[in-house]
Amino acid sequence: MPTNPAQPLVLFDHVTKRFGLTTAVDSISLEIFEGEFLSIMGPSGCGKTTTLRMLAGLEEPSEGDIQLAGERINNVTVSERDTPMVWQSLALFPFLNVIKNVEFGLKMRGVSATERRQRALDWLERLEIADFADREISQLSGGQQQRVALARSLVTEPRILLLDEPLSALDANLVVRMQGVLTKLQKELGITFVYVTHRQSEAFAMSDRVVIMNQGRIEQIDSAKGIYRNPATRFVAEFVGANNILTGTVIAADELIEIETPAGRFKCAENSDHTWSIGDTTSLVISADLIRLSTSAVNETNEMACRFISEEFVGSIVTVLAETPDGADFRIQLQQRELSELDLNVGATIYVRWDSHDAHLLRDTT
Amino acid sequence: MIRAKAYDGLFYFYVALVFVFVFLPILTSFVFSFNSERFPTIPLGHFTLHWYTLAFTDADVWDAFRVSLIVSVSVAFIATFLGFCTAYTDYRYNFFGKSAYLALSLLPPTIPLVIMGLAMLALLARIGMSGKIISIIVSHVVLCSPFAMAIVRMRLAQIDPNLESAAWNLGASQWRTMREVIVPFCAPALISAFCLTAAVSFDEFAVAWFVSGLNKTVPVIILEILQGNTDPRINAIGSVVFVTSITLIILAQIIYMRKSSRKTLTGF
Amino acid sequence: MPIVVWQLVFFVFPLLFLLLMSFWLVKNYRMVPGFDSVNWIKMYGKGYFWDGYWRTLGYAGITTVITSVLAFPCAFTLAFKVSPTVRRWAMFFLIVPFFTSYLVRIFSWQIFLNDNGIINVLLGLVGLGPFSMLNTFFGTVVGYLTLCLPLAVVLQLISLSNVDRRLIEAAHNLGCGSFRTVFAVIIPLAKIGIIVAAVFCFILSFGDFVSPYYLGGSKPPTLSILIIDTTKSGQQWPRAAVVAITMIVTLFTIMFTAIALAYRRRS
Repeated sequence: MPTNPAQPLVLFDHVTKRFGLTTAVDSISLEIFEGEFLSIMGPSGCGKTTTLRMLAGLEEPSEGDIQLAGERINNVTVSERDTPMVWQSLALFPFLNVIKNVEFGLKMRGVSATERRQRALDWLERLEIADFADREISQLSGGQQQRVALARSLVTEPRILLLDEPLSALDANLVVRMQGVLTKLQKELGITFVYVTHRQSEAFAMSDRVVIMNQGRIEQIDSAKGIYRNPATRFVAEFVGANNILTGTVIAADELIEIETPAGRFKCAENSDHTWSIGDTTSLVISADLIRLSTSAVNETNEMACRFISEEFVGSIVTVLAETPDGADFRIQLQQRELSELDLNVGATIYVRWDSHDAHLLRDTT
Repeated sequence: MIRAKAYDGLFYFYVALVFVFVFLPILTSFVFSFNSERFPTIPLGHFTLHWYTLAFTDADVWDAFRVSLIVSVSVAFIATFLGFCTAYTDYRYNFFGKSAYLALSLLPPTIPLVIMGLAMLALLARIGMSGKIISIIVSHVVLCSPFAMAIVRMRLAQIDPNLESAAWNLGASQWRTMREVIVPFCAPALISAFCLTAAVSFDEFAVAWFVSGLNKTVPVIILEILQGNTDPRINAIGSVVFVTSITLIILAQIIYMRKSSRKTLTGF
Repeated sequence: MPIVVWQLVFFVFPLLFLLLMSFWLVKNYRMVPGFDSVNWIKMYGKGYFWDGYWRTLGYAGITTVITSVLAFPCAFTLAFKVSPTVRRWAMFFLIVPFFTSYLVRIFSWQIFLNDNGIINVLLGLVGLGPFSMLNTFFGTVVGYLTLCLPLAVVLQLISLSNVDRRLIEAAHNLGCGSFRTVFAVIIPLAKIGIIVAAVFCFILSFGDFVSPYYLGGSKPPTLSILIIDTTKSGQQWPRAAVVAITMIVTLFTIMFTAIALAYRRRS
């Protein structure tokens, strides 16, 4: 997907949205580039849907500017923007059949009857539901209705498509299939997709970049891998993946930063630009799947004795819950067969260790 | 369902009794409209269309039907339109004084018709408008709009809240959305409201009696005949009125049931 | 928006005018605008007005009670003892007569209740009667029932159908017999629908003139008949207005009281 760093397709410039006394979106700034698949993710009430709706024109920003293709669109009405949306409830018109639903956007633009019928049919074929053109919406399955909704939004060949949790209501296996459809579609068309969801798996599976939002603010914008491996804030570290967070004070700041925590002393190779000084409060983040487990001490740096509490199977991966010396939770993810080789009993002492280069320090410890 | 018991039969019998009470007068009127005897009682005479011919060769009766037709169709259009606007405003907007607005729209059925008739007549007579067809139309619209409003509002309650937004999002202006989305969606309710208001207007006698003056509607004629001696023509006229009204009501219900997901007008 | 205008002009205004008119005078069969409370004084001073008032109130009250009681078993059966399909069809057919041909049905009842009418003929075959049913209070009640019963059943039915079945089962579970359950559980839960049904019965019977006139003999008169007599024969519109306003005030008072009662103490 070609990116054009010189000019983003969409620009949010310190946009705030207030509803009465509540601030739903708090001064966010965001660039969205042409041809990328961007997800906005966060817990309920974080402001992701409001952000999307502001882009579509369904809400007006209380402060700040939104630009589309270089032009300020704050005052452009919904109908005049070309930002079609796929709704969570699909919002298909029940009184129109499939093909008339798809034609709708073209009809509003004054396209002739024959041309819009042809274009609508092309899109139905592309989404493999051309056979259903004359059916009523109620006769279609959930997955088929999804495709109609997609066709309806894309038939006007927009530069950008907005998606508001479209897969939330689908069965698990259908979700996986639709994710494939969406990714393939986006790559073929080369247009920008802005996708809102609360599910990590969806965002990570399909996106080029992910925006994590919390309480109206953007916590981090990065590729899926970047967010996973280098969470920028405590919220992201706790929200995404399975991370262990150890808070402490910096006691040495050389090639490796050493921190003192209630659970022990640990070293971390920090590769961000931030310079650490002794006495700084910080948190160390180490992902559960980068931890090695053994029943006896190996005496490396970054080793800790924990008490085994329980294990949780999720298919071939198992999450081990342990307790640190100072009573906090600690999670380790490993393959099931590795765990069975260790043969652990509840309450047994286990030794966890990790590489200094795998850990990561958070500047923001709130 | 509560567990069936032996005396459930009693309950069903009771329900049957209620239905008999409600429908018997209608049926007898129907039967006697074809009965040869002048005074309706048993045993029956022979089958005849005499009363129908008598009733419908009377110019007054024809006039009355003509007036009733004009009135009820006009009322249906206007009341349905007003009902739709009110229902949509209630659905879409929240504004200061909304409760008062709603109360005003829904209050008319609570005022006894006699009083409405009196009030309307008094006012219209004062401004020289009584006795005209338009006066009947105006009065009936006041009475019927609440029904239209209720029906359309129920339909709007079923709409996907994002449907309007979706239409705007796809490039439809507010006006076009109204035309291409809201109205088609409400179509079964609109037709239903049309039929219902037509039926109510067609059947309404009290206000019409006060206000119509020389332009009598059919119920007014019936009232006048009623005040005279027993006249079997009433059965004939009444049966026609009944068949017309009931056809409209049944149409209203069926259209609503078929086209929307609700099963009856009251939502079962 | 247009409906507000319409309602204001054609609904509120005429009623306000009625109020205004009640203060006008009648001289030589014409109305003269003025502000004189003579109509009120005269009307309220007349015995027949107060007779009519209490009579109408009483009739409406009795009718409301009778209708509510008669409607309940029917609504109950339809709510709990029949399949949803049957219930839907029953509703359908009950709504139909509500909107049609009140006059024709009253006329038919005249036929039935007449001294030589069908019922008396049938009773005569068994050696009973003839009973005088027309031009009596009984006739009036029959007429009111024709008007109110379908509506009462429908309104009660809606409320009863919305009663949570699980609460009924819980009551049975706790040892409540079927009969007691009805009074202790079901009626309180369906209270609002029952009260709304009663309120509408009251409004309809309070204001109706057809039943007391054609089936009840019209004498002694109800308030509605009084209005008609005063206008049609006497041209005493201001006096009629007094009666009308009194009726409206009474109705509103009763309506608001009933609704306040209905919505108080919701369990």
